[in-house]
Amino acid sequence: MKGYLGIDVGSVSTNIVFLDEGGIIRESIYLRTQGRPIATVQKGLGKLKDRLPSNIKVRGAGATGSGRNLAGIVVGADAVKNEITAHAVAASILVPGVQTILEIGGQDSKIIVLRNGVVSDFAMNTVCAAGTGSFLDQQAARLNIAIEKFGEIALQSEAVVRIAGRCAVFAESDMVHKQQMGCSLPDILAGLCEALVRNYLNNVGKGKDILAPVVFQGGVAANAGMVRAFEKALGLSVLVPPYFDVMGAVGAALLAREAVARKGPSSFKGFGVSEACFKTGSFECAGCANLCEVVEIAEDGKVIARWGDRCGKWLNSVHREEKIS
Amino acid sequence: MPLKIGIPRALLYYYYYPMWKVYFRELGAEVVLSSFSTKGLLDKGLKCAVDEVCLPVKIAYGHVLDLLDKVDMIFMPRLVSVEKHEYICPKFLGFPDMVRCLDKLPPLIDVNINLYRKKWDAHNAVTKVGRLISGNYINIYTAYLRARKIQKIYFRLLHLGLTPDDALAILEDRVKKRPAQEAKEFTVALIGHPYNIYDRHISMNMIGRLSRMGAAVVTAERLPEKTVRSYAARLPKKLFWTLGQRMIGAAFHYLERPDICGIVHVAAFGCGPDSMTGELIERYARAAGMPFLNLTLDEHTGEAGIMTRLEAFLDMVRWRNMAAVGM
Repeated sequence: MKGYLGIDVGSVSTNIVFLDEGGIIRESIYLRTQGRPIATVQKGLGKLKDRLPSNIKVRGAGATGSGRNLAGIVVGADAVKNEITAHAVAASILVPGVQTILEIGGQDSKIIVLRNGVVSDFAMNTVCAAGTGSFLDQQAARLNIAIEKFGEIALQSEAVVRIAGRCAVFAESDMVHKQQMGCSLPDILAGLCEALVRNYLNNVGKGKDILAPVVFQGGVAANAGMVRAFEKALGLSVLVPPYFDVMGAVGAALLAREAVARKGPSSFKGFGVSEACFKTGSFECAGCANLCEVVEIAEDGKVIARWGDRCGKWLNSVHREEKIS
Repeated sequence: MPLKIGIPRALLYYYYYPMWKVYFRELGAEVVLSSFSTKGLLDKGLKCAVDEVCLPVKIAYGHVLDLLDKVDMIFMPRLVSVEKHEYICPKFLGFPDMVRCLDKLPPLIDVNINLYRKKWDAHNAVTKVGRLISGNYINIYTAYLRARKIQKIYFRLLHLGLTPDDALAILEDRVKKRPAQEAKEFTVALIGHPYNIYDRHISMNMIGRLSRMGAAVVTAERLPEKTVRSYAARLPKKLFWTLGQRMIGAAFHYLERPDICGIVHVAAFGCGPDSMTGELIERYARAAGMPFLNLTLDEHTGEAGIMTRLEAFLDMVRWRNMAAVGM
């Protein structure tokens, strides 16, 4: 079997998918990044290799997400793309005719508006992380409920309480207040979902024309309470596609397919990288007052990439066979 | 030894530096510029700055600090207005007084520049500066004329599409030819205050990055004043701020140009006028169906966030262009 590999290294989760040549998703893996992106990518690749038949041939690999450069270097990706493009590509192929994509991940949230199959506008959350998965995670942990149960409990709500969602810090104190007043847990959780949706629509979705079909993807789409809150706020039905949690990786694989068609044979290093020894480190360059933090990645003792400098002195110090971007 | 006058490489340096440099030199003084913005310089500025000012003013503090031991005087006019019936941002107006409390500050040349009533007041302000250095009125007047001439040439170079750095290099005879411009896939307009988009540190070299990613960049400085004004006049009500007018006028012009594929608006965190012009431009851009991206810069901004958005924006433009030709 031949196909394409897509890797999405996000703040919270690392997702890997394998697409066959027809664009059908054959395998998908969802792992928690746990602050160790390289080790997680290696672990994921090892798992994927075990699950796939032995006659597998990777014709191209793509990386996306905030850790895309790292992942791209580690596996030798053909396409290294931002997550906005990756999500848009995946949704436009898996859900033909989609006009609005709501995406909420671990630490960022975005809205992508498509018209006639082409991205016409997008926005990403600014410095504020209120309304992203990490906050829900944290609140679930505080209330001692599994995050997987969050949506289910929120759906049991009968009278939703109003929670101030403008800021994650204040939302928490508001929740504590409501809980001490004696509101029920499902009502508070449903209130939190509505607050997050309100915040998302005000902040990220500000001024955007949200038209059906609306697709909701990213890890938070697993939360049925959030889906219901979106439907209530928008007055539209919100579609959660299968593989909603690995859409970024699907997009990366599709972009890899495109890149390979354009530039020829893949630079994928093979599943062997899951056993290689990668070391990363950083140092402060003292070349000028910018004091850039330069990151260095070594594979089996050999430096394969450096980045983080503004002037490009270190970036160019490692010879790279081809430019990725 | 000639008098050393320091000019911070910040704020309206990007518009008026060539003029003042020639003026001071003609009067026998030596002009010393602060170094290019760096992280270290911004950090120094942040420590001393008032907490409520915007990022460009914070970095301007750093530039002033950079000049402290190097000069006899610092040139920092109190900019109130540079156009009739318009104002410059109040933070510019207050800047000389904000830095006054810094330790070891050499004397400031903080003459008022206020052309709100009539443009000729510029002449009075410039003469006042000259009299601090020279007693010879004829010298002052000829220096003024020469400075104006240089300023005109500088603006002409900017209209040709040169960045302030490149234009200065030509004015100072550091290079003979203007840099060759390679053909790019498409052109985007970068709209923002000159001290944000041309400061390589604050903007994270946005012009260079866009160009490396395959986009040619045009800015508001490329357009003659007249064009900018006539387009800005389309707003139902005139904006108070001169710089805001430039941004709006340029954006409206580029919205109508068929060769421009997208508009990127760069705002500084904490800038009041920007929050308004950005929103206005976005509304008009959306009505015109022009791809639009709003970026906010502040001292915490990581490069990754800016890169992700720029990359996605250029992908969107490319995708649209491809769809338009039916690929």
